[in-house]
Amino acid sequence: MGERIRSTGHGSASSCERRQSLRERRKRHMHLAILAVMVVLGILFVLPFIWMVIVTFEGQANIIPPVPPKYYIENPSLFNLKIVTENGQLLTSYINSFFVAVCSVALNLFSVLMGGYALSKGRFRGKGVILMVILSTMMIPFETRMIPMFTMFNAVGAINTFWPIILPTVVDGFGVLMAQQYYDELPGELRESAAIDGAGEARTFFGIYLPIAGPLVSTLAILTFLTSWNNFLWPLVVLTRQELRTIPLFISSFSMENSMRYMGTTMAVAFMAIIPVMIVYLFLQKYIIQSVATSGIKG
Amino acid sequence: MTTKGRGVSWSRSYKWYLFLAPVLLGILLFMVYPVVESFRLSFMKSNGFTESWRGLRNYEIVLTNSLFWKSVWNTFYITFFNILLVIPIAFILASVINSMRYGKNLVKGTFFVSYITPTIAATTVFLFVFHPQGIANQLIGLLGLGPVSWLTRPVTAQWSVILYAVWKNLGFNMIIFIANLQTVPSELYEAAAIDGSNSVQSWRYITIPQMGSAIVLLTIMGWIGGLQRFSDVYIFGNGTAGSPERALYTMVTFIYDRGFGSFEFGVAAAAAYILFVIIILFTLISRKVGRAGAARL
Repeated sequence: MGERIRSTGHGSASSCERRQSLRERRKRHMHLAILAVMVVLGILFVLPFIWMVIVTFEGQANIIPPVPPKYYIENPSLFNLKIVTENGQLLTSYINSFFVAVCSVALNLFSVLMGGYALSKGRFRGKGVILMVILSTMMIPFETRMIPMFTMFNAVGAINTFWPIILPTVVDGFGVLMAQQYYDELPGELRESAAIDGAGEARTFFGIYLPIAGPLVSTLAILTFLTSWNNFLWPLVVLTRQELRTIPLFISSFSMENSMRYMGTTMAVAFMAIIPVMIVYLFLQKYIIQSVATSGIKG
Repeated sequence: MTTKGRGVSWSRSYKWYLFLAPVLLGILLFMVYPVVESFRLSFMKSNGFTESWRGLRNYEIVLTNSLFWKSVWNTFYITFFNILLVIPIAFILASVINSMRYGKNLVKGTFFVSYITPTIAATTVFLFVFHPQGIANQLIGLLGLGPVSWLTRPVTAQWSVILYAVWKNLGFNMIIFIANLQTVPSELYEAAAIDGSNSVQSWRYITIPQMGSAIVLLTIMGWIGGLQRFSDVYIFGNGTAGSPERALYTMVTFIYDRGFGSFEFGVAAAAAYILFVIIILFTLISRKVGRAGAARL
């Protein structure tokens, strides 16, 4: 009897399993079909980049416009890249952009971490008001402040330096808010034990709370770096000298001078500006997407 | 830890002010002063060297200028259709990606690529996408349409910017939707499945209503970003010309042009203040409408 029960049980289980595996197989096929469709759409989505790479390495692209687009390289050559890198202006712009971005990130982190820490752990008068003031700065568009910012930096002779671009990154309401929330989630006991050891506020912050801000630091750094690398309007206003141009300024002037005439070199310039970002993105994709997602959820 | 500091003595407070000194100093220099000074300038005739009182004349100049109103129209037109297109497309895309079993991260990463691409570089590539024989016409040619002379006619030039902006912002909108999709409690779906609703039904009646706050957020961010449109039209429209026929001349182009093209700082400041008011109004309206709309979904 025991034998029979087991066997019936086994039989029904196997038919159920078969039905389930059939459904599972159908489901798997559906998921593979979805993937196939999405890959095709994804390729269409990045088609402009694929074409950019092709034109960049197409040796004849400056002479014979490569239109309508072909998706193979007829005369593979580094000619276009050689032309755009030859005079060193592109490299200078790279260094400028990089310098500005790194300084912006450093200054931004310094101000945002300290501010957020104080707003989270500190006890002092006017805290509510200060928080409100910091948050309200997020509503003020840059364009409204642009003219006085120009006259102000002009008055101290800082036009055609990187100061006007770097210094304002010290204000970042969103960053302060994120830092405050980050520190709110950390226990206050760390502070108490540091206080017992006789550490002052500064030592507690730099010795304990700054080192454990790793994930926050990377998020803020990524966001600030991207913003800085992309910044166009303000650098266009304050940097007029050729040797100070950042990457966006370099491309914009290059593309306005040459675009429709020299497709090969113009695409090569865009290529040079986009590829490094793509390479970084390839490695840090997860963190970059996460950072941007948090910026949307909390902002 | 959000204890108010009421009753804390000044002498114990000061060290915290030191922590806040960088950001507060920055606010004073780069927020408070420029906002106040911009307001003052908007009543002056100024070119940065000489200035004289002008009263409300600058606002009159801006508000009676047909090019300014054209820039307002262009800015609103491009932004409106951009948001109208990008939010639904991003939501559908996010829903599909969220339900994917294989290759989820690959697909997500691919559609996000446009967001991290520097605007000026991306628009330069898109100059060729919208070339008379570029990718855009090649693709619509496959559907038996076109060719369209994208960047040479006013309305098609505006639609070039709209389509480019949809491409550029799709990744960001998608990421926000995916992040919000993951916060929908799975019990809701389980309960719906027990009640016998299929996946399309639960998408319509569970997922969409849960996206209210994301839609409001993306609409607000879309408007704020769209009203500040400058970089992409700068490349597409041959600099501050806003070509063709000023179709790509936006409000920020107007401010930039008057400020640093003809050095009429007063006029530029007045226009910048009008933009400021519009942005704040839009933030408030979007919030109100969004809340009402989200309740109805």
